[in-house]
Amino acid sequence: MIHRNWIKWAVTIGLILALAVLFVRTSARVPPGPAEPTFRMTLSNEPPTLDWNLATDSVSFDVLINLMEGLTEYDEQLRPRPAVARSWEVSPDGRTYLFHLREDARWSDGKPVTAGDFEYSWKRLLNPQTAAEYAYFLYDIEGAEDYNTGKADRPDSVGVRALDDRTLQVRLRKPIVFFPSIVTFMVTFPMRRDIVEKFGERWTEPGPMVTDGPFVLDEWRHEYKLTLRPNPYYYGPRPALGKVVMFVVNETTTALTLYETGDLEMATLPPEAMATYRGKPKYFTAPLLRGYYYGFNVLKPPFTDPRIRRAFSMAIDRKEFPAILKRGEVPASFWLPPGMPYHNPAIGLPFDPEAARRLLAEAGYPAGRGFPTVTAAFNTSPENSLIAENLQAQWKRNLGVEVLLDNQEWKVYLKRLQTDPLPLFRLGWGADYPDPDNFLNLFTSTSGNNRTRWKNDRYDALIRSAAADPDSAHRQKAYDEAQRILLEKDVVIMPLFVATQNWVVKPYVRGLQINALELLILKNVRLERP
Amino acid sequence: MIRFILARLAWGIPVLWLVATATFVLMHLVPGGPFDQEKPLPPEIRANVDAKYHLDQPVMMQYLFYLKDLLHGDLGPSYKYLGRNVNDIIRDTFPVSMQLGLWAVLISVIVGVGAGIVAAARPRSWADHAGMFLATAGISLPSFVVGTFLIMVFSYRLHFFPAALWEGWRYGMLPAVTLAMLPAAYIARLTRSSMLEVLHKDFIRTVRAKGFGERQVLLKHALKNSITPVVSFLGPLTATLVTGSFVVEFIFSIPGMGRYFITAVTNRDYPLIMGVTLVYAVLIVLANIVVDLIYTWIDPRMRVGGN
Repeated sequence: MIHRNWIKWAVTIGLILALAVLFVRTSARVPPGPAEPTFRMTLSNEPPTLDWNLATDSVSFDVLINLMEGLTEYDEQLRPRPAVARSWEVSPDGRTYLFHLREDARWSDGKPVTAGDFEYSWKRLLNPQTAAEYAYFLYDIEGAEDYNTGKADRPDSVGVRALDDRTLQVRLRKPIVFFPSIVTFMVTFPMRRDIVEKFGERWTEPGPMVTDGPFVLDEWRHEYKLTLRPNPYYYGPRPALGKVVMFVVNETTTALTLYETGDLEMATLPPEAMATYRGKPKYFTAPLLRGYYYGFNVLKPPFTDPRIRRAFSMAIDRKEFPAILKRGEVPASFWLPPGMPYHNPAIGLPFDPEAARRLLAEAGYPAGRGFPTVTAAFNTSPENSLIAENLQAQWKRNLGVEVLLDNQEWKVYLKRLQTDPLPLFRLGWGADYPDPDNFLNLFTSTSGNNRTRWKNDRYDALIRSAAADPDSAHRQKAYDEAQRILLEKDVVIMPLFVATQNWVVKPYVRGLQINALELLILKNVRLERP
Repeated sequence: MIRFILARLAWGIPVLWLVATATFVLMHLVPGGPFDQEKPLPPEIRANVDAKYHLDQPVMMQYLFYLKDLLHGDLGPSYKYLGRNVNDIIRDTFPVSMQLGLWAVLISVIVGVGAGIVAAARPRSWADHAGMFLATAGISLPSFVVGTFLIMVFSYRLHFFPAALWEGWRYGMLPAVTLAMLPAAYIARLTRSSMLEVLHKDFIRTVRAKGFGERQVLLKHALKNSITPVVSFLGPLTATLVTGSFVVEFIFSIPGMGRYFITAVTNRDYPLIMGVTLVYAVLIVLANIVVDLIYTWIDPRMRVGGN
C-alpha cells in the first residue's frame, strides 16, 4: 500500500512539475513594452510563402510589398513610377525595353542590386522546375513561354538580359504598352542567386533572406507573427517605424477586439461592425480593384439566347447589394472598376424590369411562363448565399422565373467550373496589376480563366490591339467597345458590384498608404502619439 | 507489463497504416485538388506544378511514394506553405497545442471531478442542481460562444486577460478555460452518476458503519471506485485536446495545430492532412495504452496476467 501511494505521489508531483515547466517557458516569452515606434497589424492567415517568384496570394504580397522593390512601383493613381529602375526607354517598334537601374539601390546585406539579379529572378520564375504558378506573367517576353512549357530547354532563349550591372534589356514577342505596370508585380522582383543557391528552400527565413525594400524580415514565428525592421541599406528615406509586427489573426472580430484593447494600430472591419464605425475619423473605406460577377455558360440552354442573358442582367437592381452586404460595396454594371485606368461608369446594362420582361417574352417566355428551371451555382460562403438569395428573389419578382440555388465547397466548385461550368455561376476577379488588360483579357477566347465558353473574334482583336497601342485615346475606345460587347451586346457576364476594403486605424498613425490593390505600404508611416 | 506495452504498441502499427490508407483514399475521392484556384493555372504551368509534387503519377504510385516517405519519418512537403515540410509545421505548432491542451485537461479534471463529487455528495441539493445546470450548459454551448463571451467579459470589459495572441501564460488562460468547458461538464456528469452508483454499494455501508467520516468515505473509498469511467474518457480526451481545436485557435489567434484539421482539407494540402491525422492517430493509440495502464493501477482486478 505504501509503495503504491509513493508511486501516486511521484506521478502527481511529476505532472505538476511538467505543467509548471510549460508554464514558465511561456511566461518567459512576454515581450518588453513598446519602447520603439512599433506598428502592429494583422494578416488574415499565415503567408504561404515569401519566395516572391512563387507567391500568388494577397497575404504574402502584403508582407513582400514592404520588404521588396522591383523595377517600378505604383504611384497614388496606381500608375507605374520608377523604383529600382531610375528610367526606361522603349524601342520604336514597342518590343524592346531598356531599364536603367539606380546606382544606390542596395540589398539588406549591403550589396548593390544589379540587372543580373533581375535576369536571374525572371529566368528562375520561368524555369519549369521552379513550378511557379505566376510564370505566365512574363509570357509576353520572347522565348519565355517556350522555356516555361519545356519546348525550349535553355534559358538563353528568353529575351531578358543584363547588358551590364545597371542596364536590363527586355525583348517582347509583341508590343505591350503596359509592361512597366507588369513589373510592379511581385513575381518580377529581383532575386539573389547566391542566397537562393546557398540556402535552398529555406532562403526566405529571417537570417538568410536579403531584400532590397524599406524593411527586412527580422523574425517569422510561423502561423503566429512576422516582425519587420528598417533596411539600413535602403536607398530611400529610412522608415520612421522601428518595428512592424504582423500577427496572423484569422478572425476579423478577434482583430477588432485586439484593436479596441490597444494591441493593434489597425484592423479590418467585419461587416457586422460597420454600422458602429462608419463616419468616425479613424475609419477608412476604399473600393478595391475586385469585381464580383455571375457568368453564363453560353453553350448551355436556355442561355444560348443573348436576349435571355440580357433579360437576366437587366432584371437586377444592383443597388440592393450594398444594402444587404453592408460594406459600402459599389454597385457595378461595368466591368473595369473605379480606380482602374480606362474605367467608364456609363457602360453596362441599366436596371429596367420592363425591358427585361419584354426581352424574355420575345425569347418565347412571356412573364416567365414555360421557362425551364435553371440553377445558379456559387461557392459556399455566407456572403455568397445572401447575394444568391437576393438574385433569386429579384429574378422571380422581375421576370417571373424560378432559379434554383446550388452551392459547393470552394475546391469542389472550382473543379466543376473547370470541367463542366453550370449555366449560371458566380466568380470574382481581383487585379494583379492595375491595367485593364488584366481584367479584360480574362474573357478572350484563349484565356484559361474564361469559364463562359464564349468566343468573339472582335473582342479578342480589340484586347490584342489595345495592349499594343501607346495612344491612350485609342485604348479608351477599344476598351469601351470591348466592354460593350461583353456586357451589353453579348451579355456574357453580369457584374454585380465592386468590393471595398474597410479599416479602422488609430488616430496617431500618419502616412499610411492604402491602395485599391489592398496592399498596405508602410514605409512612410509615422506614429504621432500624444 | 513490458510485454503488454510492447504488444499494444505493435498493434498500433496496423491501426496507423489503416488510418493512413483510409485518409489517403478519402482525400483523393473529394473533388478538387490542391492547385485548383480562382485564377486557374495555364495547363503547361499546371503540368510543371503537378510534376514537382508527383501529382502527375497514378494515385497508386502516389500512395506507394507516400508510404515509403512515411517509413522514413518524412511527412512530405506542404502544398500550400511552400518550402516547408509537414514535419516542420507539426514541430512548430504541436507544442503550442499540447501546452494549451494539457492546461485544459488539468482544468477539466479538477473542475469536473470536483463538481461531480460535490453533486454526488448531496444529490438533489441546490449544489447538485447548480452544478448539473452548469454541466448541461457546458455541454450544450459551442466553444465559439463560450470563447467570445469570455473575451467580452474578461478582456474587453475587465481587462484581466488578453483577448487573443500567444505571448505568455496570461494569454493561455481564456482559451484553456474555453477548451476545458465541454470536457469539464462531461466529467462532472460522469463522476456524479458513477459515484452515486458506488455510494449505494454494500461496501460503502460497511465503511460508514466502521465509523469513517463522510469526507473519507467520499474521497478515499467512493471516488477511487467510481473513477474508472472518467479515466477511460480521459484517454481520447487528452489526445483530442493536445492536438488543438480549430475554433479556439481561430478565436484566440493561437499558432497551434488544430486549425490544420480544417484548413488543410479546404486547401487540399494532402501531405498536411495526412500529417495531422497521423499525429492524432498516434496520440489516440498512445492514450489508450496509458489508460489501460492506469486501469491496472487503480483496479488490481484488471491486471494483465492475473497478477
